[in-house]
Amino acid sequence: MSRREFIEELERLLADLPEEERKAAVQYYEDYFEDAGAEHEADVIRELGGPEKTAASIRADYYGTEFREEEYDNKAYMEKYGQGSRRREENAGWNGGTDHTANDSGRQDAAGNGAGAWSEADSSQRSRPGTSRRTKILLVALLAVALIPWLWHVLLVILGCLAGLVFASIGIFAGLVIGSVAVMIAGIIMIGVAVVLVIPFLPVAFLIGGIGMLLFALGMAATVGTVKLCAIVYPAMFRGFVNLCRRPFYGKEV
Amino acid sequence: MVFNTGAALLDAIVLAVVSREKEGTYGYKITQDVRKVLEVSESTLYPVLRRLQKDDCLEVYDRQYDGRNRRYYKVTDRGAAQLMLYRSEWKSYSSKINAIFEGGVDL
Repeated sequence: MSRREFIEELERLLADLPEEERKAAVQYYEDYFEDAGAEHEADVIRELGGPEKTAASIRADYYGTEFREEEYDNKAYMEKYGQGSRRREENAGWNGGTDHTANDSGRQDAAGNGAGAWSEADSSQRSRPGTSRRTKILLVALLAVALIPWLWHVLLVILGCLAGLVFASIGIFAGLVIGSVAVMIAGIIMIGVAVVLVIPFLPVAFLIGGIGMLLFALGMAATVGTVKLCAIVYPAMFRGFVNLCRRPFYGKEV
Repeated sequence: MVFNTGAALLDAIVLAVVSREKEGTYGYKITQDVRKVLEVSESTLYPVLRRLQKDDCLEVYDRQYDGRNRRYYKVTDRGAAQLMLYRSEWKSYSSKINAIFEGGVDL
């Protein structure tokens, strides 16, 4: 990687920062390369640890989050940008926080035993639970690739379950509404019957008429209630479902 | 380096390094000076300088050098005051640690 490529890559990785921030950082590193001299260009790029690490340190500071230098010390990255800086990078992990103490013994062993132990120390570092977002996405992608043969079946099952849930919810509410309407209609019919019975059986007519009116009122209230409930529950369910789908992509703050 | 250098200590070190040059100094030199005494990677110091600049502890200006503009960093009054604070804090901190290490302190 040349200096030009480094700066361009850095600029690209800082694209979401305000123009002023990005310019200041780019100018700083342009200056840095100038002052280091063309003969040290490769050393500087190796020492900086590649544009990804440099950008991460700038972004971490800008957003006020913790920059975990060790995450950039993994094997793939080292192979890409050279082995020479590994030991220094290890030692320079000054801002990693308290988790360093856990690795200290491994690190000392490594210093004694040479190359073999280094990779051990590396892997113990990599397997720490604090994986980055990028690693997570990569893992999910790998998992997806591994599962492609079954993915269809799984997808079908999930779709089936979803469809079932949707129809069930529609069915339940439709049932409630229809039931309410039916009660209302029953009320009307009973009132009708009562009117017919007024002449021959007056007391019975009053009884039936009263019950009919009560049923009618109850049915109407239930109809209004259930329809309103649908208007509240369906949009909420829909929103909930959309949020559920967005969750894997946008993190918890949806 | 066995001990971690925290953000405040790094701020203090950078302020101390910059304050040694009355006319101010530039990023590459600051990095080299810090690295003489402390193993930090080269990408560590830009965020520190930027933060100190935003906190008004450092000011920047561009000066012509070798046919190009070079950005210089200089300690402000506020930065000097901050450095004083860091120095006295460090003195008390390090003397306590020394006392524990060398024995004879009542805990």
